[in-house]
Amino acid sequence: MREARVVGAASNRFGKMSESGREAAVRVALEAIDRSGLVPSDIAYTFVSNCFGIAERQAHVGPLINTALGIPEVPSATIESACSSSSAGLHEAFVHVAGGFADAVLVVGVEKLSHLDTLNATSYFAMGADYAFETRNGATFPGLYATLASAHRHKFGTKESEMGAVAVKNHANAARNPHAHFQKEITLETYLGSPVIASPLRLYDCCPFSDGAAAIVVAAKEKLPSPPMVPLVIKASVRTGSIADMHDRASLTGLPASRLAADRAFRMAGLERDQIDFLEVHDCFTIAELMALEDMGFFAPGAAGRATVDGATQRDGRLPVNPSGGLKAKGHPVSATGASQVAEIFEQFNHLAGGRQVPKAETALAHNVGATGGSCSVHIFGRP
Amino acid sequence: MGAAEPTPTPLHSIADYRSAYEDGQRLRGFRSGCGFVTATWGLVCPKCGQRDLREADLSGRGKIVAYSVQNVPSDEFLNDAPYAYVVVELEEGGQITGWIDGVAREADLTIGTTVVWVASYKPGVHFGRSPGAGSSTGSG
Repeated sequence: MREARVVGAASNRFGKMSESGREAAVRVALEAIDRSGLVPSDIAYTFVSNCFGIAERQAHVGPLINTALGIPEVPSATIESACSSSSAGLHEAFVHVAGGFADAVLVVGVEKLSHLDTLNATSYFAMGADYAFETRNGATFPGLYATLASAHRHKFGTKESEMGAVAVKNHANAARNPHAHFQKEITLETYLGSPVIASPLRLYDCCPFSDGAAAIVVAAKEKLPSPPMVPLVIKASVRTGSIADMHDRASLTGLPASRLAADRAFRMAGLERDQIDFLEVHDCFTIAELMALEDMGFFAPGAAGRATVDGATQRDGRLPVNPSGGLKAKGHPVSATGASQVAEIFEQFNHLAGGRQVPKAETALAHNVGATGGSCSVHIFGRP
Repeated sequence: MGAAEPTPTPLHSIADYRSAYEDGQRLRGFRSGCGFVTATWGLVCPKCGQRDLREADLSGRGKIVAYSVQNVPSDEFLNDAPYAYVVVELEEGGQITGWIDGVAREADLTIGTTVVWVASYKPGVHFGRSPGAGSSTGSG
C-alpha cells in the first residue's frame, strides 16, 4: 500500500450561497488543487458528493465540475452517504491512491438548500432516515438525535448544561473561523433561552441548514514528494456501518458504527487515543459530540458532558474538539461537511487557523457520521 | 464454497406492512431464529445473518424507552405538532417506533410509560397510553 496524503484542501464560507452548488464546488476544487501544487490535469479521478442536488434540479454534477476545471475527460462518480458523503469520497480517494490505481484524486462535497423553506429543508433532511419505519412514524432528523439524547440522559443523567457547554464552546470556536456559518459567541443563558425544537434539544443544540462547499486533493507521496504546504499523511481511513434503524440496535445511548470505526482506525494507524492532538467530530446536535467522544473511547460512557463543562475539549484544553466550530456552528452543508473537517485539519497543520489555532497540530482525527450512524467514517492524519 | 442458500421469499412487503396497520388490522413484523424481533423489513436477520425470519404479528403493547416531543415537524405531520415520537420496547421483545398525539411538553410523558398501538386515520404507527398506564420504571 502506498502512502497517500492530503496535499491540498479548501472550504468556502458556509451559510447562504448566492451561487449554485456547481459553481461553489468548482471554486473550492480549484483552490484545493492550487494549494497542492498540482494542476487540474494531474487529477485522475473526481469523487463528488451532492446528496440534495435534486433540490437544485441537478444530478450527475461530476462531469459539470470536471468540465469547468478544464479536465472533461477525467472520470467522476457521485458518492452518497448522507452526512458522511464527502468523507466516504475521501475514503474512495484513499483506496485509489494507496492502492496504486491513481496518483492524484479530487474529492468535492457541495450542498445548497438555503432556497428551501424550513418545512421543505426539514423534510429533505429526514430523507436520510428510514422513511417507512422512522419518518412515516413521525421522526424528524432532530427528533431521531433527540430520542438518543433522551435515552442518554435517562441512563447517564446527562444535563442540559452539559449539552449547552458543547454549543457554547463550538460557537466560540466558530466565531474565530472565517469559513463558519455562525461567527458569533453565545452564552449558556442564550442557549437555555432558545426554543425547544425536538425535546430535549433546543434550537442551539442543532446545527443549521447551511450551504457550502469543500474540496480535498489526495496524492501519492511518490507523485508529489515535496508539496508546497504541510500535507496530511492518511494514517487510517476507515468506513463502517451498523443496523440502519437505531431502534433495532441494542443500545440507544451511542452509535455502534463510531465505536467500530474508531477501533479499526486506531489499529490501522498503530496509534493510541492519547496520541491524538485534536479532533473534528460529527456534532450535528450537541448530544452527537458527547456520544462521539464516548463511542470513540476518549471519555467513558456518560463522562463527556462533565469533561466538556470542565473545559477539557476547548481549544486550549487537554483534547481540543471541533476547533472549526463543528457542524453545530461552522455549519452543516450535508455533503460538504466531511471534506470541510479535513480542510480544517489541513489549515491547523499549516498554522493557518488564526484565532482558533490549537496548541499542537501534528496528529488529528476526523469523525463523520451518515444519518444516525448507519454509516461512519474515521480518518486519522499525521505529519510526514 | 458451499452450496448457495436459496434466496428467501419476502414474507410480506413494506406495502403489506403499511396497509395492514393503516387498515387497523395488525402490526406485521419478523422474528428471527436468534430471537430478534423487528417491524423493519428484511430478508436476512441483521443480528445473526440467518435466513430464518418468520412472520410475526406484533402485539403493539410495550413501554417507552426513548422519546422526543416534536415541535418542528416534517411535511406529513404538519398539522399534528406538537406530538411525541417514541421508541417502544414491545412486551414480546424488539423495539418499534411510532408517535403519540397531543403531547406538547417533555414532562407530559416519561420513559417507562406503557403504551398500546391504536389504529388511526392519521399517518404512521400511532400509540396511546395504556388504560390506567403509569411508568413501569418510575423514572423519566
